[in-house]
Amino acid sequence: MKITRRDFCAFGSAALMGLSVKADRAISGSFVNDSFQMGHLLRDRSQFPAAREVVRIPAVIVGGGIAGLSAAWRFQKRGFSDFVLLEMNNQAGGNARWGENQITSYPWAAHYVPVPDKQAEYVRELFTDLGVLKDGKWDERYLCFAPQEHLFLYGRWQDGIEPEIGLTPADREQFQRFNDAVRAFRASGSFTVPMERGWSSKYADLDKMSFAAWLQQNSFNSKLLLWYLNYACRDDYGALAADTSAWAGVHYFSSRAPEEKGPITWPEGNGWITRQLLARLGKFARTGQMVHRIQRDGAGYRVYAGKTEYRCQCVIFAASTFLAPYLIEGMAPLHDFQYSPWLTANLTLESMPDSRTEAAWDNVFMDSPTLGYVDAMHQSLRTFADKTVWTFYWALAEGPPAANRQMLLEKDWAYWKEAILHDLERVHKDIRKCVSRIDVMRMGHAMVRPVPGAIFSPERKKLKAAQGRLFFANSDLSGISIFEEAQFRGVTAANHVLHVLGKP
Amino acid sequence: MAILLFISILLIAACGLIYELIAGAVASYLVGDSIFQFSTVIGSYLFAMGIGSFLSRFIRRGLAYRFIWIELIVAVVGGFSSSLLFLAFAFTQGFQLFLYLIVIVLGILVGLEIPLLMRIIRHRYHFHEVVSHVLTFDYIGALFASILFPVVLVPQLGLVRSALFFGIVNGAVALWSTFLFKEHLSVARRLQAVCCAVIILLSVGLVEGKRITGLAEDNIYADEIIFSRDTHYQHIVLTKWKDDLRLFLNSHLQFSSRDEYRYHEALVHPGLAAVPVPRHVLVLGGGDGLAVREVLKYPQVESLTLVDLDPEMTRLFSTNPFLTGLNQRSFLSPKVHIINADAFLWLDSSQDFFDFIIVDFPDPTNYSLGKLYTTVFYSTLAHHLSRQGMFVVQSTSPMFARKSFWCIVETVKQAGFKVYPYHTYVPSFGEWGYVLASQHDYTPPTSLPGGMRFLTLAGLPSMFDFPPDMAQVTMPANHLNDQVLVRTYDQEWREISH
Repeated sequence: MKITRRDFCAFGSAALMGLSVKADRAISGSFVNDSFQMGHLLRDRSQFPAAREVVRIPAVIVGGGIAGLSAAWRFQKRGFSDFVLLEMNNQAGGNARWGENQITSYPWAAHYVPVPDKQAEYVRELFTDLGVLKDGKWDERYLCFAPQEHLFLYGRWQDGIEPEIGLTPADREQFQRFNDAVRAFRASGSFTVPMERGWSSKYADLDKMSFAAWLQQNSFNSKLLLWYLNYACRDDYGALAADTSAWAGVHYFSSRAPEEKGPITWPEGNGWITRQLLARLGKFARTGQMVHRIQRDGAGYRVYAGKTEYRCQCVIFAASTFLAPYLIEGMAPLHDFQYSPWLTANLTLESMPDSRTEAAWDNVFMDSPTLGYVDAMHQSLRTFADKTVWTFYWALAEGPPAANRQMLLEKDWAYWKEAILHDLERVHKDIRKCVSRIDVMRMGHAMVRPVPGAIFSPERKKLKAAQGRLFFANSDLSGISIFEEAQFRGVTAANHVLHVLGKP
Repeated sequence: MAILLFISILLIAACGLIYELIAGAVASYLVGDSIFQFSTVIGSYLFAMGIGSFLSRFIRRGLAYRFIWIELIVAVVGGFSSSLLFLAFAFTQGFQLFLYLIVIVLGILVGLEIPLLMRIIRHRYHFHEVVSHVLTFDYIGALFASILFPVVLVPQLGLVRSALFFGIVNGAVALWSTFLFKEHLSVARRLQAVCCAVIILLSVGLVEGKRITGLAEDNIYADEIIFSRDTHYQHIVLTKWKDDLRLFLNSHLQFSSRDEYRYHEALVHPGLAAVPVPRHVLVLGGGDGLAVREVLKYPQVESLTLVDLDPEMTRLFSTNPFLTGLNQRSFLSPKVHIINADAFLWLDSSQDFFDFIIVDFPDPTNYSLGKLYTTVFYSTLAHHLSRQGMFVVQSTSPMFARKSFWCIVETVKQAGFKVYPYHTYVPSFGEWGYVLASQHDYTPPTSLPGGMRFLTLAGLPSMFDFPPDMAQVTMPANHLNDQVLVRTYDQEWREISH
């Protein structure tokens, strides 16, 4: 047997490979819940088939997200049941949709609600109905379990998302000064959730500049602080601080008391709320019914959806407001409604990655363009979980939204799969050995973007008021896309309808 | 030159003895009964060496070449012997077969070494010198190895890496021999390449030793390991030293057979003996069947449900003779129903009621286990207690983890129960704590079942008395969303271990 140098090297490296490399898994998956096609049919004003039946009904709710469902919840609680809720997708819930596999249920978008304070009376009422709030106490099963949040920085995990490792005295001083500023804004009572409760023009000037400009004006330049504030804007608005109204940036931090209880959450995120609402209201919902035209008809409206024409007295328009000019006959185009494109992915993990730290509920990576991931099994009572689903969040915040929307459309699933794994690999080196499936949901208009001027926009102000017997109800009227705003707008619209129809 | 030759003889002898010692030690660790293991391993090894010596007569030509090849095979087989044996134990039923196969193969090869070597160097010295030099260094090597093995190798490197290390030594001797016997070899460079490959292979093994077996845990356990298995849920290890059998789950001591009766009598009887008519009993955790053994001392108990996560654990304690001896075959009682499930989930979905519930989980070392020590968990237990029912919780040490203990007491209290904390001394654990909880007042029992080795009625009141060094400290309750217990426990035990 003659051994050449090449044989020798091959033998050595084969021995090394055999000992250290486990095979990566084959990863399956696809795009799911795409709604581009339907949106583009509306945008391009395509021809829709003529209605074959006419249904007369006093009220129609357009859109089955949290705003629409909340309007329906209000109707039902007030004993009014002469209405129908039309949802374009096959699954209601909008940004509170969920999915389910053999391991767990998991969110597709919004995944928590902060513990509501007294001003969010409708949220408290809903949570009382759903058994989350009992005799003034929160059911601890629904409060986010410990450990809640981890941030990966400098090659290790820390507790909480506000950076605590490697801060210089100057960084600390700026965090302190920022927190003091936030406390003063909070004490003013102008920044509330829902925002209508504290609405005042006192800080309207803040809406004229970007959050980044305001930070610069106030000499906030600590890299760690700016990372943290940008993270917050990307997380709640899908935008960088430079593209966010300073009023909205301040609102994020000043609108809630610093909470110790942790947010309210479920394995399927806010999908749990959708599920509970659908269990009560499902009989009113018509899914897979895309409304393609809303027409004035005397004092009332004709709403065309699929092959049905609904003749009603009142309409609650709870779908995204940017769709309205394409649906409502004679409505002028809108200018002040901008939206952030997002991508969420659910990763099925057949085994847990090696990690010295127990995973938290929300896991964020410093200096990543993504928002990290949420572990769906975290809120399980199980003590042993060897499989799970991670929901990976990625707001495409950098660059113009239109270009990012184009990229969402053009890149194939394999591209996003690799991008997601690449991001996770920085933290979990063995992630490819654990993941068996990655489903990706692309949302061109995931959430309204509170750009400078958006919050106090006259266009918004006009749409918040009744348009005859048509009431807008989407959270984008508030300019920020959060559960509480959606619910508040939905309930408020329902109250108007009940008033118009003369119901007690 | 001569001294180098004799050092190689010394090293070869040392390697030979090390492999033999390792085989004996691995067999004793894994199977137990060290006298039998060592005796049969040494016997078959020596016998195989005899076979090797006999076979050496059939090697007539290319002595040096063949000698080096034998060295290399010994290096690989001997170097990986310990890893192979651990893997054979973990993944096959035929550990003994592998053991004696490896011992005999190594014995034959080692038996070939010395006769061949003597013949290779016979022209350099007189015959009587050859015999004298070779055997002298052979025996010095044996002494060297036999002292090195227990004093340095096992404590520092462990069994897996000791074998690999000596495999490398063997490989190095082979490489060295290619220079020593240069004049006998026509193809030295080829052999040298193979020697290097073997040394690299073994070095990789040495670096990756832990990954090869996952059993490089010789340093953790003081006693001999008689059973070691990675189940789906945990790492189960049983160690034995004389009559002391110890169970470790994920390296945490669960019991020592010498004093577990103290722990389990104290866990079960202060509560259960005080329940007027205990018909239905639930044990959560406790997959060793030892708490069940205590419960079965009550003839009134009609049914006993045990919920433990790990089926391998309950199977082991239902079948292994050592262990069924310890739990008195408690799992085989017709009254006992074993359910392998996640306790919190099972409890949450069960509709059953119990007169007494024993909560015997591992200590709250992480957030997952910490869920089993929360207000929500104890409130869930409340839905499964009969009107007169009570439950008891093993609650770590009020001495070493005083804050953690009183945190558990506070948590049970905030879940709406009257709490009766108590403690006892278990030598292998130290001072240990329990919390008895009920929705009504607790009256200590007036009689205990027969067969107590530790507990007496007279001794009970002192268990409920906490001396100043364990007295109550004010602690918040442990909540699912704020697991103060896990943080406190981690901190307290870390202080102890430093």
